[in-house]
Amino acid sequence: MAMLWSRISAALPLNEEQFPLQFNDKVESSVLETLKRSRHQLYSNTTSASRMLNAQIILDFSWEKLNTGTWRHVDKEWRRVYSYGCLFKVAALCREEPSADEVLQALKTCDMGLLMGAAIMDNILQVIVQILQSEVRESTKEEDESEHAQVKRIKIECPHVPVIKEELAVPRIKCPSLESFNTNYLLPLKPVILEGIIDHWPALNEHPWSIEYLRSVAGCRTVPVEVGTRYTDEEWSQTLLTVNGFIDRYILNKDEAAVGYLAQHQLFDQIPELKEDIRLPDYCCLGDGDEDDITVNAWFGPGGTVSPLHQDPQQNFLAQVIGSKYIRLYSPEDTDKLYPHQSQLLHNTSQVEVENPDTERFPEFAKAPYLECVLQPGEVLFIPVQHWHYIRSLELSFSVSFWWS
Amino acid sequence: MRWFGFGFNAFGQIHVGEKLIKGECSDAAEEVKVFSPAELDCCSCCRVKTGCHIRASWSRRAYLHLDGDSCVCLCGVSVKDSRGCQDASVSESHLTLAFSDRIESWDLQKEEKTPSWSMGITTESSGPSLNLPLVPGGYIATKPPFYRSLSPHLKAKSLALSAEHAVLLSASGAVYTWGLGSHGQLGHGGLTPEEEPRAVEALWGMPMSCVATGGWHSVCISDGGDLYVWGWNESGQLGLPSRGLRKALQQQRSQQAGATCQDARTSPAEESQEGEKNEEVFISIQAFPALLDITPSCEIRTVSCGSRHTAAVTTTGDLYTWGWGDYGQLGHQTLISSDEPQRVEFFSEQHMRVVDVVCGAWNTFAAVVKEEVA
Repeated sequence: MAMLWSRISAALPLNEEQFPLQFNDKVESSVLETLKRSRHQLYSNTTSASRMLNAQIILDFSWEKLNTGTWRHVDKEWRRVYSYGCLFKVAALCREEPSADEVLQALKTCDMGLLMGAAIMDNILQVIVQILQSEVRESTKEEDESEHAQVKRIKIECPHVPVIKEELAVPRIKCPSLESFNTNYLLPLKPVILEGIIDHWPALNEHPWSIEYLRSVAGCRTVPVEVGTRYTDEEWSQTLLTVNGFIDRYILNKDEAAVGYLAQHQLFDQIPELKEDIRLPDYCCLGDGDEDDITVNAWFGPGGTVSPLHQDPQQNFLAQVIGSKYIRLYSPEDTDKLYPHQSQLLHNTSQVEVENPDTERFPEFAKAPYLECVLQPGEVLFIPVQHWHYIRSLELSFSVSFWWS
Repeated sequence: MRWFGFGFNAFGQIHVGEKLIKGECSDAAEEVKVFSPAELDCCSCCRVKTGCHIRASWSRRAYLHLDGDSCVCLCGVSVKDSRGCQDASVSESHLTLAFSDRIESWDLQKEEKTPSWSMGITTESSGPSLNLPLVPGGYIATKPPFYRSLSPHLKAKSLALSAEHAVLLSASGAVYTWGLGSHGQLGHGGLTPEEEPRAVEALWGMPMSCVATGGWHSVCISDGGDLYVWGWNESGQLGLPSRGLRKALQQQRSQQAGATCQDARTSPAEESQEGEKNEEVFISIQAFPALLDITPSCEIRTVSCGSRHTAAVTTTGDLYTWGWGDYGQLGHQTLISSDEPQRVEFFSEQHMRVVDVVCGAWNTFAAVVKEEVA
């Protein structure tokens, strides 16, 4: 464990003078003073309690700023301050012979900084989280073998696979050329399932994604999880769990009545190892935007997760890696039959429960034409911009979505 | 009248420990988190004058002396440009002084000879006395544009301002709110923002006498001494059952018991113990005003809010606090948060009668007088 601190401090600047603390004047002098205090403590002798206390002051203050106003308008400086708070807290936790529990706390703290903060000092939190992960892996190697027997407890799910009517099936095409995809589907904004285009992904070959693999790569990492049947429900909420915690509670041992879904999360920015298992679809180059502007989201959950019928402002490639999903698509031309919510917050979401519509409240819905499919591993669904889509997982599922313009 | 303070003290707002006097960095937890009420350090003016008011921000505490030669003292030093001021307010970056003919804002982070902002005012002799942030015709906001006008129809009597929202009390006792509403702090039943002052209809017909705002919550007192709360309850700052608070306390307890940090491991047994609590209705956002019962029942005289806690003084001289307590700002000699109003026993035990309360972001200041022995 003494090794741990030497590895972490090797990643930090050599001394106080070389440790940058630059902020614009939105960050008041009193806050800067507290940051400097923590920086000083990093390079001097003091109590662990005192380091933790000062780090916590920085975290508590910046947390309040992060929760003030709308997330979009939060000044990046406050997110940077929050990341510094995380850095100082991690240093305090790992300085003096940290226990296994303290190492896990430090991991969680790094993740909080990566999720809510903004990159500081060449993304030092990412560097430190890798150090902490390898530390956790080393110390749990022996435990892993005994856990294997328990893995078999995954219930074998027999999904009720909906029968897809042929005349309503989303068309399929295998490895189309850029030009034919552009001409036949992108420009006319027609949905299609692209087969064979992700066969080369390491996630489907050298590193086949599975629960065990995800545990080994990201088990102790903290991620945001949506709890509740659908995001339009009153009982819906978001929480933070480790990947292990999420798998244990919402995928295996499903006594849990509630549904948990690791949804719409940029997991691949947080965990670069997983990013190496996927590739950007070539067809994205047909768009106007930069490669850097493409949003890649992970969607990982048990059978039964539902994304209510909604539309997005960008083109979408939905790549299926593990398990299968039932998907229904409605054209934006038929929006008038889909009863979108009136509120600003939910105006991109339909009020109708697609697989159990209230025909009295929503009489026109039955008249809206649609396409449907069951998306299987290895397949990619092209959802054109503003196309309404409804998605239900039929079994344990992992999808990767690419939002591009 | 004496002032006591408890809570966040990293900048010596409550008292300056020995280490700080020596110029050393104050690291000791006891000095940063004052969890039992401590008498505030006096400034030299305090010893001369009979009473003073307190103004507080996150890191600062100012004395406002209004009798005789009025002035403001910050960090024990009289602010010389404050002589003759009639009111003051302090934020993290600025000290705002109201004089009979002008308002000035001084940047506390720079040492300058002139205020960073000022405006002249003409007080009508019949108009209300200055009551920052209210000024004739409008109010002084926390960020530019500083001066904002208010419709005279509102007949503004007092105004509570937070980073995200504003609560205004009119001369007739009506309450208006505006600003961001994503945590229910506007009290109109939804989460949408309001650009202009909008009357809180749920309180219509019940004249209020005092309003206060925290970071994401709002509080007001009716003429009859009842307390109404609305907004975010993530730390129990509304005094209503808070799921987030119970969860956090549960996690703290299990951490102390040496259990590992794996959140998913709550055994079924533990969950059924919480069974009776599952019947309880937890409130994380209260979008309409709710009447808060404080037991034993009492009349509230005045109330103040920190960013995530609330403090109320009863007509019988007791101080009740609830909400976030991590820095000792509840004064119950612990660092535990609470979603139930609890009396600060320190004052009753010392036979002190609390007559006023002012909260900084993470601390609480109470004005006391000696209890008269009947």
